[in-house]
Amino acid sequence: MIELKGLQVDYLVQRHGFRSIKEYLVSFGSKRLLERKRVLHGVDLQVERGECFGILGRNGSGKSTLLRVLAGIMEPSAGTVRVNGRVAPVLALGVGLEPELNGWENARLCGVLMGQDRTEVRRTMEQVRDFTGLSAEDLDMPVKRYSTGMMARLGFAIATANDPDVLLIDEVLAVGDAAFQRKCYARIDELKAKGCTIVFVSHYLGEVQKICDRAACIEAGEVVRVGHPHEVGVHYHELLGIPVE
Amino acid sequence: MEAGVLNTWSPAGRLRRAHAPVVLAVAWRNVRLRYKSSILGFVWSLLNPLLFLLIFLFIFSRAFPQVENYAVFALTGLIFWSFFATSSAHILGSLVESAHVLRSLAVPPIVFPLAQLLAGLFNLLLSFVPFAGILLVFGWQPTWNSLLVLPALLLFSVFLFGLGLLLAALNVFFRDIGLLWGALLPAFFYITPIAYPPDLVPDDLAWVAGLNPLYHYISLFRSVVYEGAMGTGAQWGLTALIALVALFLGWSVHRALRRGYIANY
Repeated sequence: MIELKGLQVDYLVQRHGFRSIKEYLVSFGSKRLLERKRVLHGVDLQVERGECFGILGRNGSGKSTLLRVLAGIMEPSAGTVRVNGRVAPVLALGVGLEPELNGWENARLCGVLMGQDRTEVRRTMEQVRDFTGLSAEDLDMPVKRYSTGMMARLGFAIATANDPDVLLIDEVLAVGDAAFQRKCYARIDELKAKGCTIVFVSHYLGEVQKICDRAACIEAGEVVRVGHPHEVGVHYHELLGIPVE
Repeated sequence: MEAGVLNTWSPAGRLRRAHAPVVLAVAWRNVRLRYKSSILGFVWSLLNPLLFLLIFLFIFSRAFPQVENYAVFALTGLIFWSFFATSSAHILGSLVESAHVLRSLAVPPIVFPLAQLLAGLFNLLLSFVPFAGILLVFGWQPTWNSLLVLPALLLFSVFLFGLGLLLAALNVFFRDIGLLWGALLPAFFYITPIAYPPDLVPDDLAWVAGLNPLYHYISLFRSVVYEGAMGTGAQWGLTALIALVALFLGWSVHRALRRGYIANY
């Protein structure tokens, strides 16, 4: 279950220019080098256990920031975050992968970076073998020779291997081919049936309508609409100024 | 929340004991990556100081007749210099290089500088074996005191980590730091008595030489390895003090800037 109350998130952005550095040094660090830039202005959301929740929004509306807070990468500056259970992020697939290492080595490293223990890492390896559809030859090859789709397969398998309680997906399924996408949707359904809460971020309504039970639309750091995916989607398309297909 | 469990939700800013396997996994990756697509691999960590030694032997061995066994003298300095130069540069770049991971996984940023230090140490300890052989060939006579190189190395690592963390944190905001460090390293190499005996520094400038932290660490390494002495209390005290000051500085700057990393990698 996920519960956000009055969530505010700031990025500390560097004040540019030499003058700011000089001021900072001359004041022995008491003058601020960093400026606050608010990205989320008081978000309230509740996602139930076993629910697949979609988040629609334009580029720069704060979708990814919201996901980063849920993943524990960023701390909120105000408000409360409650996320129950083990979180698995699938933020931009293939992101933790090390180009010089092969598929197996990456699965192990990524698993550890995600906080998996020894047994979980072993299960991750099994899942990589069974789920990705990559051949033994592919998995022995450095990841730098992988196609984007192959990276996505590896990333998805690593993140979903250990039946996480909360799965965060950042518009990543689109890169795989149709067969793999279907496999991903099937795996998502399977996880949902086991009670996994899924937060699915996208700027593409079709995907959200396909797998989500409910959705929210974010605009300029605020939740402007929550409800049925279709209804939220219509609102989102009004914002974009493009009619729903 | 249980202290030993990582994969429940919690903000990732702080390093906890449960992160130990993460640090080790990243350090091992660094060890493997360092020489992954090079033919000579690990040999490079020996070759670099040895090439310098060769140059030194040609140019300087006659210039400093007062130094007994110049090859051993120079090599004891070069081994630790080379460790310092490579590791400081690696730690400096570690945060920026790991931006893609830090932006998408809940890993405390400090894992990456720490892992670079461990990878560098692993490499150095491994290279001690062949270096000991080479030193013996040049007539080095090890004593029990030579083992004091290990506690000295511990202090040196704390100093290196503090300094590296400071540079790495600043480098997130100003990439000039990396470029500046690349230019400063050779300068440090020449002002530190590595190729030449420290008594070459004129008496009235000795205090300037003393301002260089590396001077004290290299002297300590020379005392225990080259002279086979125990090192004086003042030497140990001073190097320990410098290490703690560096660690405090690096840690404070890292803590003050940590929350700003994510927007500026």
